[in-house]
Amino acid sequence: MSLEYRVAAFVMLSLAVMFADSRFDYLDRVRYSLGFLTAPVFWVADIPARVSYWIDDVFVSHGDLIEENARLREELLFAQRELQLLAGLASENSRLRALQEASISVNGKILTAEIINISSDPGSRRVLINRGAQHGVETGQALLDAYGLMGQVVEVLPFTSWVMLITDSRHGTPVQVNRNGERAIARGSRGDVPELELEYVPDTSDIVVGDLLVSSGLGQRFPKDYPVAEVTSVVHDRGQPFATIKARPLAQLDRTRHVMLVELAQHELDAQLQGADAAVWLESDFEFIGPPRPKMPPAEEVMVLESDTVVPPDVDPEDSASVDDRGQGPLPQAEVSPDRGQGPLPQPAQGQE
Amino acid sequence: MEQRTNGSWVIFLSFFVAYLLAIVPFPDWAMNYRPQWVAMVLIYWAMALPYRVGIGFAWVAGLLMDILEGSLLGLNALALAIIAYITLSLHQRLRMFSSVQQSALVLALIGLHLMMTHWMKIAAEQAVSSDLLFLLGALSSAFVWPWMFVLLRQMRRGFSVR
Repeated sequence: MSLEYRVAAFVMLSLAVMFADSRFDYLDRVRYSLGFLTAPVFWVADIPARVSYWIDDVFVSHGDLIEENARLREELLFAQRELQLLAGLASENSRLRALQEASISVNGKILTAEIINISSDPGSRRVLINRGAQHGVETGQALLDAYGLMGQVVEVLPFTSWVMLITDSRHGTPVQVNRNGERAIARGSRGDVPELELEYVPDTSDIVVGDLLVSSGLGQRFPKDYPVAEVTSVVHDRGQPFATIKARPLAQLDRTRHVMLVELAQHELDAQLQGADAAVWLESDFEFIGPPRPKMPPAEEVMVLESDTVVPPDVDPEDSASVDDRGQGPLPQAEVSPDRGQGPLPQPAQGQE
Repeated sequence: MEQRTNGSWVIFLSFFVAYLLAIVPFPDWAMNYRPQWVAMVLIYWAMALPYRVGIGFAWVAGLLMDILEGSLLGLNALALAIIAYITLSLHQRLRMFSSVQQSALVLALIGLHLMMTHWMKIAAEQAVSSDLLFLLGALSSAFVWPWMFVLLRQMRRGFSVR
């Protein structure tokens, strides 16, 4: 009978589509185009939430507004004070980093978004945000709220995107303990409670209840040093090879609506790495080709480097002179390495000398 | 067999509403009780208008569901195609059933649907195996079915959908 044949054909087709979707990325465009069809459903489904927000905004008493305004002003003042302190710390930090020739931390751009839906699948913890490919969202971008890291974009549709939360059992977040820098992977728990479990942490590690876990940035997905979770329980069981450590996410995963997307730091990071590579190549070429070092007038040497590397042109000559002064020490290599580290950030070293 | 089709918009509207109900956020504790609206609407139309809503229709409806859920493409499509097949092969008898009998069959069909999607998700590593509480969705679907059946039948007759 034709019904059997038809169902068999469609079953085969489904299997083929599933296989293709899980192994290859041909179907991403199909997914994307079908996203145009499903966008209105999400839009309509979000109407009640929007209306309730609108009602909250419109029907509010004058007294409440004044009170809120005063509170916000107070908070702003407080935040500005913190920011002042932070600016000082940031410059100090960059100076220390330049001294140590460490890489420079990268701050991505931020896009605000709203959570408009959550996954209807009880087995996964994902949310839908109201930004998609049309707003420049890409897979892998990190989602934050004001309190901590929330998750990362896993699927981009035209006007919306799916974000996997850090509490999803298939999500691992590279974290480190803020107090002592111990690193671990925080995986979402399998139970009903949205929490994180630290995987493969040896019993001897120094992690105690109340420790703040921040993102370590090692996966190159998440911004570094952003708060992720707070350790809630540490169990050392002698029968287990590793300690059982649980943590509570700091982000308001099930309450907040307003969130932030951070642009992938990866692009900038790549650019910087390439820049650094180019600088290394140029310098090593220079060492081979160039005449013996002591006879070389120092100022010119640096000028050549500057014109060919990624160092911004507005480096003042005094600065490069100071670099050269240091370079005239007994070791010829020493003059190359500080310069490499300072490529993108030339000023701080001078302050330290 | 020269029936003209009529009232397609009623079918599409009912599916649209089913999709809406399928993605409206539920509180965490109620996640498992969510009725499978799309599968139920599909069962109704496959029973009432088997020459219009067939396996192909079910497959496309499932594909849209996959996009809405963000799950693997083809997963719901496969499950819904099989549900449609069973309904189509039983549709003559299904029409004669009392509402309790229909509910029992819906319970079985939705249970099968939930099991199939759960297995496929595990096989595709989109979910981890958990307890069988998600099958409560079949129970709530069977509970809702008689009311939905009456509502959709009224709509079908009122707008003379053929």
